[in-house]
Amino acid sequence: MSAATVPLSKVALRGRWWRFAVLLIVTTVVLVPVLSTLLLSIRPGTLTADAAPITLANFKHVFASSDVAVWLVNSLGVTLATVVVSVIVAAPAGYVLSRGRSKAVSAYSLLLFLIQSLPAITAIIPLFILFAKVGLADNLIGLVVVYVGSTLSVATWMMAAYFDTIPQTLEEAAWVDGCSVFGSFVRVVLRNSLPGVLSTAIFAFLLAWNDYLVALVFLKSSNVFTLPVGVQGFFQQNQTDWSSVMAVAVVMLLPPVVIFAFLNKYFSVGGIGGSLAGR
Amino acid sequence: MATTGLNRLRLARAGVGVAGAGRTGVRRSPNRGAFTLLVLIAPSVLLLVLINAYPLVYGAIQSIHRGTLITTGPLVGLENYTDVLADPRFWKATVFTLVFTLVGVFGSWVIGLTLALLLRTKVPGGPVFKVLLMTPWVVPIVVSSTAWNWLVAAPDSPLPTLTRWLGFGDALFLADPTLAAITVCVFKVWVSFPFMMLMTSAALASVDEGVYEAASIDGAGSRQKFTHITLPLISRSTYISWILMTIFCVNDFPTIYLLTGGGPVDSTTSLIVLAYRTVFQDFQTGPGVAIAFIMTIALVAVSTVLYRQIRKVEIA
Repeated sequence: MSAATVPLSKVALRGRWWRFAVLLIVTTVVLVPVLSTLLLSIRPGTLTADAAPITLANFKHVFASSDVAVWLVNSLGVTLATVVVSVIVAAPAGYVLSRGRSKAVSAYSLLLFLIQSLPAITAIIPLFILFAKVGLADNLIGLVVVYVGSTLSVATWMMAAYFDTIPQTLEEAAWVDGCSVFGSFVRVVLRNSLPGVLSTAIFAFLLAWNDYLVALVFLKSSNVFTLPVGVQGFFQQNQTDWSSVMAVAVVMLLPPVVIFAFLNKYFSVGGIGGSLAGR
Repeated sequence: MATTGLNRLRLARAGVGVAGAGRTGVRRSPNRGAFTLLVLIAPSVLLLVLINAYPLVYGAIQSIHRGTLITTGPLVGLENYTDVLADPRFWKATVFTLVFTLVGVFGSWVIGLTLALLLRTKVPGGPVFKVLLMTPWVVPIVVSSTAWNWLVAAPDSPLPTLTRWLGFGDALFLADPTLAAITVCVFKVWVSFPFMMLMTSAALASVDEGVYEAASIDGAGSRQKFTHITLPLISRSTYISWILMTIFCVNDFPTIYLLTGGGPVDSTTSLIVLAYRTVFQDFQTGPGVAIAFIMTIALVAVSTVLYRQIRKVEIA
C-alpha cells in the first residue's frame, strides 16, 4: 500500500517487481475459468476422434448437431437492434437532460434513477402477461423492446454526461447561422459525440448479449432462443461432454471479448457514476 | 497533519466537487426549441411508461390479488404480503440476499481498490494487466458460470481434486449448503471486482498528485496518506460504486441461478430467485410479485440513504 500512493517518489526496484509478481498471480488466478473454457473448446473431445493437440472439430460438431447457429443469428439480431434503438432513444433524451434547465427535467432524471434501482423481476412478470396478450412473448421483437427499456436509464445518463462536455457555444454559433435546435443537436452535438455514442452502444450491446433472465422468461421455443438460453439448455443436456459445451460457450464469449479488445477505452463505467451524482 | 496539508486537501476536495458536478452554467435563450426538447425526450418517456411504469402499476395490482399468469383472480388485499412475511423461506432468502450483497459489494470493492492502487504505480505490463483483469466483467455470466461449474461442481472437477491433494478431503463446492453459499459469493466477487477497479481507477486518476507531496513534506506516513487523503478524495465515487453494486447484487438473478439454481436446500436462494420460482415454478403470481415489491421498497430505501450521502460528501 505504501508505494501505491506515492507513484512519483523513487520506489525501490524490488518493490516494483514485488507488485508485478502480485499482479501476475492475481491475474492468472482470475483468468483460470476463461482460459479453461478456451482450452477445453480446442482440445479433442470424447465425441471427436482427432489426434491433433488442437482442433476445431468441437466447433464443427456443435454447429452440425445443435441449433447454435440459429441462436447466434438470433442473438446478433436482437443485440444489434437493441444497440441501434437504444442510442436513437437515449441520445435525444440525454441531450434534453444535458441542456434542459427546468424542474421537470430534474424530476425526470430522478425518475430514471428510481427506475434503475427497481428489480427487473418486478417489471418482467407484468410485461410477460401484457406481451403474451399482444403476441410479443416468445418473440424476438418483444425481447428487443424489453432490452431497450432496460438500457434506458443508464444509456440516457451516459449520453447526457458526454453532451455535458460539449460546449454550448458551438451550438449557439449554429443557431446564429439559422440552425434549428434539432439541427444543431444532430449536426453539432451528435456529430462530435462518437465516443459517447460508442460507450452507450457497448453498454447496450453487453446488456442485450448477456441477458439471461428476460430471455428465460420470454422465450419458449428453440427457434427463437438467444445464445444465453440456448447455451444454458445445451449445457444442461450435455453436462459430461465438456468439449462441446465449451465450444458453444466460446461462440458466445467471442463477440464481447473482440469488442472489448478493440474498444476497451470506451468502457466507461465511471461516466455512469459521474452523471448519476451530478444531477 | 499540519495545516498546509489540510489546506491542500480542502482545496483538492473542492476541486473534485466542482469537477464531479461536471457542468458549467449553460444558458440558453428562453423557449428556444422548448417544443423540440419535448419531441426529443418523447420516445424515452413513452418507453419509460410502457416498459417501466405500466408494469409497476400492473404488478402492484397483481400483488393484492390471488391470480395466475393469465387471470387476475380475486382481490385479497395485503394477504399476499402477510403470507410472504410469515414464510420462513422468505426470511432465509432475505438473509442470503443480505450476505450475498454485503460480500458482493465490499469484497469486490476491497479487491478492486487494491488492484487500482497497485495499477496506479509504475508496474511492468500495468496496462496489459488492467485489460486482462477486466475479463470477468466482459465474459457473459452464462459462459463464466459454465466454466465455474467445470471447475468446482463434480467431485472429480479440478478444484475438488486440488483440495483432496492438499489434504482437505472432499470439498462439495456446490452440494454442501454452506460451501455453496460461499462459492456463489466468491463467484459474484470474481464477476464484480473489475467494475470496482475501473470506478476506483477513474477516481484515483482525478486526484491531484500535489496533495501527496504536500502530505509527505508534512511527514504523513503511507497509512495516514491512504486513510486521510486517498479515501476521502475518492469517497464520492466510492459511495456511487457502492450504490450501483448494491443494486446489481440485490437484482442479480443469473449469477446465482446459473451456478446453483438456488440450492442445495434453498441455501443460495436470494429474494429474486425466490420471486422467480414462486411465479414461474410454483405459479403463485400474487406472492411472487409481493416479494418483488418488498425488494423494491427496501432497495429504494437503501439507495436513497446512500444517494443523500453523496450529496453530503459533495458539500463537505
